Amino acid sequence: MGDLVAAEWLKLRTTRLVYGTAAAAVLLSVAAVTGAVLATDRSGTPLTSTRGLEQILSVTGTGALMVLLTGVLVAAGEHRHGTAADTFLTTPRRHRVVLAKLAVSAGAGLAAGLITAAASLATAAALFTVEGATFPVGDGDVWLTLAGTLAYTTLFALLGVALGTLIRNQVLAIAVALAWIGIVEHILISLAPSIARWLPAMAGLAVVRSPIDDVLSPLGGLVVLTLYTVAICGAGLRFAVARDV
Amino acid sequence: MIEVAGLTKRYGEHRAVDDLSFTAPAGKVTGFVGPNGAGKTTTFRCLLGLAEPTAGVALVDGLRYRDLAAPRRQVGAVLESMGFHPARSGRNHLRVLARAAGIEPARIDPLLDLVGLRGAAERRVGGYSLGMRQRLGLAAALLGDPPTIVLDEPVNGLDPAGVAWVRRLLRAWADEGRTVLVSSHLLVELAQVADRVVVIRDGHRVTEADVSSLAGSVTVRVDRPDAMVAALLAAGVGHELRGDGAISVPGCEPAEVGRIAARASVAVTELARATVGDSLEAMFFTATGGDGRG
Repeated sequence: MGDLVAAEWLKLRTTRLVYGTAAAAVLLSVAAVTGAVLATDRSGTPLTSTRGLEQILSVTGTGALMVLLTGVLVAAGEHRHGTAADTFLTTPRRHRVVLAKLAVSAGAGLAAGLITAAASLATAAALFTVEGATFPVGDGDVWLTLAGTLAYTTLFALLGVALGTLIRNQVLAIAVALAWIGIVEHILISLAPSIARWLPAMAGLAVVRSPIDDVLSPLGGLVVLTLYTVAICGAGLRFAVARDV
Repeated sequence: MIEVAGLTKRYGEHRAVDDLSFTAPAGKVTGFVGPNGAGKTTTFRCLLGLAEPTAGVALVDGLRYRDLAAPRRQVGAVLESMGFHPARSGRNHLRVLARAAGIEPARIDPLLDLVGLRGAAERRVGGYSLGMRQRLGLAAALLGDPPTIVLDEPVNGLDPAGVAWVRRLLRAWADEGRTVLVSSHLLVELAQVADRVVVIRDGHRVTEADVSSLAGSVTVRVDRPDAMVAALLAAGVGHELRGDGAISVPGCEPAEVGRIAARASVAVTELARATVGDSLEAMFFTATGGDGRG
């Protein structure tokens, strides 16, 4: 299993994909934090108030979207480029390949979370100074939110691998992910918030302590998001992985 | 040794492979030939565990592929459907596979030399020609120094020198005692190197033969075919008068045919020896009912 994980890590390092998406994740988070600081300040909410900090710090996980897409490409990309055959010739017990991809993506997702959280924190602190406020570095909630960002980004990497395992068509898998997060859940939030809170993207927002109404507790969100990942990956292992390539 | 027994692969109503049986023994090059769409690649995918047979088995050394202890060290394969990540270099492609299979990376450089890609190893595969991809695929198949080698249309995209190079490799591997199974839709590519041929069409095996059992033949044209046929009959030599007036004499040397013609006072206008490859080709077209245009 160690060799397989090392091979998957090598795969990830030897294309430019991961560098591009990591950079995009940082840019997204920094842009989101910048926007949140300006919007909060504009709306008259004090930056250092609980509400203000929640609004600003909960968007530090925005870059996780790029991590999710990277996870999809790590799994479904093997079919897109035709490397799946060589991979399965090397490792005919295909579930081991999926497990190795999950392990490597968890590490990469955690690393991406660390980088985006650090960049977001620095951005927020700098903007607070510009706005004449002092960033509350000693506030425990700040660090809890950033810990949530790490968990959120890591889980989104795993969710991406799970989705790309279940839906082997890379384009379709990405389309499903974006449509779900961007359209389906958005509609359900307004139509049926009591249901929407249990859906993956909303559960993710709970993990980063988003000040949206009706979200689950951070821990509840973590559990729900993990269950989705396990369920989708399980379905992929059961129904998709063994299929002919 | 590869054994395929009763192999059937259905896609809906279509039987891509239908009750196919054949063997590819160690120490021999077995040519697997048939027109495009005959089921060659599907057979290979079943053999390599990439597709699940509907019925029957395809075994390597008595085991299903997925039951092999160290598949990459036991079987090396190149399939047409195999691809490469365009942004990954040739060397990194091999490094990934070696790593996953637990094969020492020291094997990579000699293999790059063997397939002539040492100079292009650091370049992204996206910029490789079809022939370079074939060579990289071959290097990947050889990573584990496998005793069984399975190649699907290995000379597609190679120039004539490359084709001759692959033929020499196939011969050398078989002479080392390896099992070599190689498919092609062009029989002439294999005729010079295959020890055995398995011909399939529409998923069925139509014939399986040792190439050594296919003797060459002599084709002769004369001014009086009737007299020549009578002379061959008198000499007890098997022959066939073809529609175009030429006489085909299997298993005979041109000199002998010439002597028979001289004794019968028949003037020879054309005397040609058909090679084993020509015989193979004739057998292939008879068996597949095709005209060679796939």
